[in-house]
Amino acid sequence: MNAFIIGDAELCIGCQACMIACARAHEQLPTAALNERETPFHSRVTVVNVPEVTVPVQCRQCEDAPCARSCPVEGIVQNNSHIEVVKEKCIGCKSCVLACPFGAIKVVEDTIVCSRIFMSASADTPQNRIEKPPFVVEKCDLCADCGTPACIDICPARALQLVDPDAMQQKVENRRKQNANRIRQYRSQLM
Amino acid sequence: MYAKNFDETVTIDTIIKMTSPIIAIDKELCTGCGRCLEICPVEAIAGKPNTPHEVDTAVCILCGQCVQICSGYDAPDETFPTSRAERLEQRGMLPTVQEPLFAAHYRGDIHRVIEALQTPDMFTIVQCAPAVRVAIGEEFGMPYGALTPGKLSAALHALGFDRVYDTNFAADVTIMEEGAELIKRIQENGTLPMFTSCCPGWVKYLEDQHDDLLEHLSSCKSPQQMAGTLFKTYGAKIDQIDPARIFSVAVMPCTCKKFECERPEMNASGYQDVDLVITTRELAQLIKHAGIDFPALSDEDFDNPLGCYTGAGNIFGTTGGVMEAALRSACEMLTGTPLPDLELEYVRGDEGIRKAAIVHEGVALKVAIVAGLQHIDSVLEQIRSGEADFHFLEVMCCPLGCVSGGGQPKVLLPNQCLEAHIGRKSGLYAHDRSLAVRKSHDNPQVKKLYQDFLGEPLGHEAHHLLHTDHSHNRNLV
Repeated sequence: MNAFIIGDAELCIGCQACMIACARAHEQLPTAALNERETPFHSRVTVVNVPEVTVPVQCRQCEDAPCARSCPVEGIVQNNSHIEVVKEKCIGCKSCVLACPFGAIKVVEDTIVCSRIFMSASADTPQNRIEKPPFVVEKCDLCADCGTPACIDICPARALQLVDPDAMQQKVENRRKQNANRIRQYRSQLM
Repeated sequence: MYAKNFDETVTIDTIIKMTSPIIAIDKELCTGCGRCLEICPVEAIAGKPNTPHEVDTAVCILCGQCVQICSGYDAPDETFPTSRAERLEQRGMLPTVQEPLFAAHYRGDIHRVIEALQTPDMFTIVQCAPAVRVAIGEEFGMPYGALTPGKLSAALHALGFDRVYDTNFAADVTIMEEGAELIKRIQENGTLPMFTSCCPGWVKYLEDQHDDLLEHLSSCKSPQQMAGTLFKTYGAKIDQIDPARIFSVAVMPCTCKKFECERPEMNASGYQDVDLVITTRELAQLIKHAGIDFPALSDEDFDNPLGCYTGAGNIFGTTGGVMEAALRSACEMLTGTPLPDLELEYVRGDEGIRKAAIVHEGVALKVAIVAGLQHIDSVLEQIRSGEADFHFLEVMCCPLGCVSGGGQPKVLLPNQCLEAHIGRKSGLYAHDRSLAVRKSHDNPQVKKLYQDFLGEPLGHEAHHLLHTDHSHNRNLV
């Protein structure tokens, strides 16, 4: 079973620190002369900040992932306990973006890959080419390469948690016990 | 706040300054998370959760810690009513700036530096605070605390400044004056404990909220302002130029220094002593804008004579540094015997309140150090109630002093702040250890300044140029 990260809307203060930590955790600096603030700031988690609610939203690592199903080039795959985008395969078709029920997939400019050259629509000679930045999709990978998910680590309100199969099992068992007690306590009303 | 003083000399420039606050929170970007409200040492920020917060400019001491903690930014996949280009312009930032723009921000002034550098008749002088040389490298991918005084000087020369002087020189002068003042207060039963006056946020806080204790504040101007005054008097004399032609820029780790240089009484040279303050970050943005490859620069020296400094002047950039520099000189001035060891570990550290007692050749001095203005009130209460038994108090608003100032490179992840601040602090101490002269009163150019120009510390000329009457300034408000 896949693990996933979920935010608590009661605890979240909306500071976006998770977004910054996420962007930093996944960024490789293109040159040493840049500071970490200057690389594109792509976060795989998004804090939804509307009057009714403030909470980070990210990939749920679905077991039967609609994004993976919709991908025409098998660019979204199961990797250990999460669903992963294989950037090298991504053709930027955006099917997964539309398929995702959580809005957790983003199209971003890939800073590592060099730009690609295409013919311009108005081109009538081979010289008339345009340069396009490569766009690929990104989503939460549970920081699989770097230990504790960066968003969980940084959150000042402790509003994010990793739900792995063990944690989920523990939660479910606790709930069952609570319910068992309730059944005993309210036996007369229930039976 | 100082509107009255501007009455006679109101220009469009001053009006713009007065209407554009130095520290502000962008309503479009603020998510109302409240972290700035928590970090503010003077409770100057207010707002309900999840709604944009506001800065009370009357209470704000302009330390910029809110700017450092803020994580509400213009995420690239979101749209905002104001475009990025417009936002950069509103904030006085260069259009080439690449970094994300955060809600809590300070007023940028870099355009006025460019304008001055491009004006042919202008004689441009720049000074850099100690903490700048251990932080600016971070903006170019160098590690926390990378010590780069040579590259800093080279970059400023490459940008076209006519003189690259140093705040550290003036820090040495500050020790001459402040040390002499402390000794005088002790010997003549003056008001004790004496407070340091280098941190403009601290001075503003005392004026705003504890004006009954202003007598304790050293009458010394801050090193930035001493430097500014000396550049337009002594410096102008050396270069035989009309001080009216001088445009004096200070590069500071601090956002409150922008306020300090605009204080109306800071004009002892006959002109505004420091014309403009930019932060460490603004200088890094200018260096990038000019296409200078900072890490590749070869080291250059600061210009003589007003760029000559000692290790003591250099450690002003961290908490305990002013105290250590002062003790290195004051103990020797009082007894005629130098301290046996210059590494005064007992005043170093990162706790909010530190106290130490020094016994040297029969002289006993007690000192206290406060780092982070949120720790000050209990100390001030002790002083009011007569329980304070120390002679000298150093106060810095920011957590580890100027190395952690509001104008320093922003550490994006708060859990890396301590590592960054300690790295910068270690850089300052390493620089101190590597310098040949480590006591302010041994600075040869400071000696020459007194011989040729100022006379004695606390003398007539020094008093006129380098000191200010804090209680008088307050009455003007």
